[in-house]
Amino acid sequence: MLLGVDVGGTFTDAVLAVDGRLVTAKTPTTPKDQSEGVMTAVEAVLKRAERSPREVSAFAHGMTVATNALLEGRVARTALVVTEGFTDLIALGRQNRPQLYRLCAAWPAPLVPDELRFGAPERTTPEGALDRLEPQAARALADKVAEQSPDAVAVALLHSYRHPEHERLLGEALAEALPDAHISLSHEVVGTFREFERAATTEIDAALSPLLRSYLRQLVSRAEAQELLEPAIMQSNGGLIDAETAAEHASWTVLSGPAGGTSGAAFIAAQVGSEDALCFDMGGTSCDVCVVEGGSVHERGSGWVAGRPLALPMVAVHTVGAGGGSIAWRDAGGALRVGPRSAGADPGPACYGRGGNEPTVTDANLMLGYLPSDVALGAEVQLDRRLAEEAVGELARSLELKPMACAEGIVRVANAEMVRALRVMTVERGVDPRRFALLAFGGAGPLHAPAIAEELGITEILCPAASGVLAALGLVVSPRRRDAQRTVLLSGDELTRERVSEVVAELARAGRDALKDGDAEIAATYELRYRGQAFELPVEADADCGPGELREAFEALHEERYGYRDADQEIELVTIRVSTAVPGATVELAGPEPGQGSLERGRREAVLHGERLELETLRGLPAPGAKIASPAVVELPSSTVLVAPGWSGEVDPTGTIRLVREERG
Amino acid sequence: MIDPVELQVLTGALRAVCEEMGAVLIRSAHSANIKERRDASTALFDPAGQMVMQAEHIPVHLGAMPSAVAAVLEEEHAPGRSWILNDPYRGGTHLPDITVITPIYAGEELVAFAANRAHHADVGGPTPGSMPADSRTLDEEGVIIPPRVLDDEALSELSAQMRRPEQRRADLRAQLAANRLAARRLAELVQRAGLETVKQAFKEVLDYAERRTRACLEELEDGSRRGRDVLEGADGDLELVLEATVEGDRLILDFSGSAAQHDGNLNCPLAVTQSACYFALRVLTDPDIPASAGAYRPVEVIAPEGSLLNARPPAAVVGGNVETSSRVADVILGAFGHALGQGTMNNVTLGSEDVVYYETIGGGQGACADADGPSGVHVAMSNTLNTPIEALELEFPLRVVEYALRRGSGGEGRQRGGDGVVRELEAIAPLHYSLITERRRHGPPGAAGGKPGAPGRNLLDGQELEPKSIGRLQEGQRLRIETPGGGGYGAPE
Repeated sequence: MLLGVDVGGTFTDAVLAVDGRLVTAKTPTTPKDQSEGVMTAVEAVLKRAERSPREVSAFAHGMTVATNALLEGRVARTALVVTEGFTDLIALGRQNRPQLYRLCAAWPAPLVPDELRFGAPERTTPEGALDRLEPQAARALADKVAEQSPDAVAVALLHSYRHPEHERLLGEALAEALPDAHISLSHEVVGTFREFERAATTEIDAALSPLLRSYLRQLVSRAEAQELLEPAIMQSNGGLIDAETAAEHASWTVLSGPAGGTSGAAFIAAQVGSEDALCFDMGGTSCDVCVVEGGSVHERGSGWVAGRPLALPMVAVHTVGAGGGSIAWRDAGGALRVGPRSAGADPGPACYGRGGNEPTVTDANLMLGYLPSDVALGAEVQLDRRLAEEAVGELARSLELKPMACAEGIVRVANAEMVRALRVMTVERGVDPRRFALLAFGGAGPLHAPAIAEELGITEILCPAASGVLAALGLVVSPRRRDAQRTVLLSGDELTRERVSEVVAELARAGRDALKDGDAEIAATYELRYRGQAFELPVEADADCGPGELREAFEALHEERYGYRDADQEIELVTIRVSTAVPGATVELAGPEPGQGSLERGRREAVLHGERLELETLRGLPAPGAKIASPAVVELPSSTVLVAPGWSGEVDPTGTIRLVREERG
Repeated sequence: MIDPVELQVLTGALRAVCEEMGAVLIRSAHSANIKERRDASTALFDPAGQMVMQAEHIPVHLGAMPSAVAAVLEEEHAPGRSWILNDPYRGGTHLPDITVITPIYAGEELVAFAANRAHHADVGGPTPGSMPADSRTLDEEGVIIPPRVLDDEALSELSAQMRRPEQRRADLRAQLAANRLAARRLAELVQRAGLETVKQAFKEVLDYAERRTRACLEELEDGSRRGRDVLEGADGDLELVLEATVEGDRLILDFSGSAAQHDGNLNCPLAVTQSACYFALRVLTDPDIPASAGAYRPVEVIAPEGSLLNARPPAAVVGGNVETSSRVADVILGAFGHALGQGTMNNVTLGSEDVVYYETIGGGQGACADADGPSGVHVAMSNTLNTPIEALELEFPLRVVEYALRRGSGGEGRQRGGDGVVRELEAIAPLHYSLITERRRHGPPGAAGGKPGAPGRNLLDGQELEPKSIGRLQEGQRLRIETPGGGGYGAPE
């Protein structure tokens, strides 16, 4: 029996996979101590399934503890040790300003203040130690650091990705001088070159770990009290790790929440028989986009979180400010704009009747007849069409558009924003979106899906019946995983099959040891470039890859991305990344139980492409096998599906509504 | 006529094309200047040569791209033909900036131009890196490329005259790839939206940017403002003067009375002066306005021919692009009451016949009325990234000895100016050096009673060097650059 619990901003979701069936529960998030809400959700889901905690065989947890702490700057008192002469590294960053024309806009300040930054008397070059760090100097420095009584220390020395000895020495000295402090060493946390990104990631790791540790300790003890086993924690890379390791490396779980969502998307895609899917999750204020190809989520080697670099593998999620609550407005040049401002949940769209008077995407959808005004949306709010018309009408006047044209315009501009996000993740990376299915999540996702699919040339749309607990579902099925990476910078004669397989084996051993599973699967990623370039392209290949295979794979990718290959240039293997994984459980997504609910049919007038048409409305969960002819809307419990003209729908055995583009005659 | 909805959708699509061009260029280039520092720009033009949209990576290219397309507009175009140029007096800025222009066709019809510009690590000439601090005429700065067709023959012939020809070829290939991508994306857009709509969109984006700019200028107080500042020429200061006039929704920037073109290389072709004016305009108006030539229609720039800001050939220009441009922006922002940033890019070029390394160093930003100036950043016409120390030491015979904030260098004030940077490099093989720096004699002024930032310093083994200097570093010698702090805002409390 598998249990997944995901903590979101508003709700904590639990999913229990029991006898091939999924039971879900939703309870409010408890911001002060998230573990309280986690246990409430666990109790609720177990009660609903009529099971006891002792029957749970695996418990996976996705959380926002580390992310929130980073966003709010609630971090431990942290010290930083850097090679002498470079203690401002984290303040200098890459020396560019964040905004070209807002001159006083600044990057977020370092988490470690001036007085807690220390220079280590050492210097290492690419060739090795130039000024050796003497053990007694390391001890003296550790004592100096200890005088400031930090709760955590980050150590990042120049060229430690290749020569970690001095960092290790300092790590030992610091552990002795500060037995209770958390210590993060950059070669362990990150392992790749480029000092600012490595140091800043190590800084985050140290500053967040004490907090994460106390949260996890609290959670584990609450779980123990309920006779529930210890949770595994979702990392930014989409794999689970044991709670003890997570507490050691908070930087690995900064994107724990979104990673659960992408795993859920990949799982649902696989369940509905689509290995290749573009997933978009349209919420109230924003839309998250990810790509599932060959059953797995696209990843990236590094990224940014809250204005800070994170030089670690993570699921590739692209977020744009287009959601149901995004506000539409006229700019000074007379263009219709949507977002990034959002009415959020409070006051919410104008049609919520909670005092919002600016038109939002939801107001436009309501006016156009895609959303119902006669029943409560998601059993929460009853939408007031008159209020939507007033808000949109006012904007329409200022734009000299007819109200309905304005409403359609709002939807189109929001769609364009989401289309751009999907293009960034596909076309701009050499991926042709037309061979993917579009997987639509979130309350309004399936409503916008047909227009988005048409724009991208996609001919299949999948709308899962239960997308409300996506991230928790993802947790249940995720693998356990440990990544290890190292910058090697090999080219010419140094780049040999032997050297490559040696490093891969070493990284794989570390991963298998950490997972305590000698047979864990390994997957190697090679980051390559033409010697002289500054950006690498990641190539997935065998564990004992030779230079010829690496070159061919790299050049094919280079051509796909950048449009050319360069036979005269030497290639360079920059970083090797090995991911070690133990596959998650297999769960079947069962369809709606027979006889569950009834389907209410009706008709409603709507507007599409400036023309009035009558939609058939279906409220409830249509039975597997049911066919839905256009034009229609299906009002599922937590989302609304538009079967636009030119599309036809069918419900598959999992309850998912599959829309297919009809051949144009 | 397209409606407000179509306008927004197509503006976004055109911006996305330019940004994607930039990503291809930067990520596949070989010159450290392009790949690490992002000293490159990409843009789309209409068939009449109006710049419809530009991806903004570095402000110094803002206004200077249109003159490049203008320089090839009358040539004979054909599908698949591209153009190359770097002549500052025929569409270029300074010689290391090479521009590649490709006409884009829909069937037989010329519908657009894609253009991109990138700062190459070397374009020949006597000084490695082609950024000589002591040039007096243009031909001392490298290979001059008047507009010509870029084919395989030109590629080989031109790169053979430069250092690291294989790297030059690779960079030029990346530039061509970026333009080809633009052609492909535009074709897709034409297919989706229709040719007539795309043509209409070009026109509308230009008009839209103009309307937005005029709306912002309306909000500035009418009347004239004066500005004055100096550049630190080898033979003494060179004065820039400005009368900036807001008249309703127009802005007139008149530099009459500024110094005549000089014997050094701080001269600007008019296009560079315009770039700096447009940068200041974007600071003074809403940065959300698309970077389109339409945004610049309400601005008139007056710079007398033969002056430092509208130089005639064969004046040397390499420092004009990187340094004078910053001062032009300063004079304008100063006239509008801003405290000023470091006002220099601190250009450091190190090289031999085998390797060339160029970097620019951040400094203090001027304080704003409501915020301290950020420290250790590029402040005006540049916004390039630093080269990571670990990448630098792997690739070049150099060791970084110190890289730190220059504490206390920001000007005092109610809001403090940002601090400059200390960067010290040690040569581990003999290298030629060339420094083009400013604000070594005069610190960046504060505003509203704020104090100026500290002037910068250049030191060779502890001995102070001139703001513009060249020489040789022996193995073990150290070059230390201390960059200026920003001016403060408001009287210190």
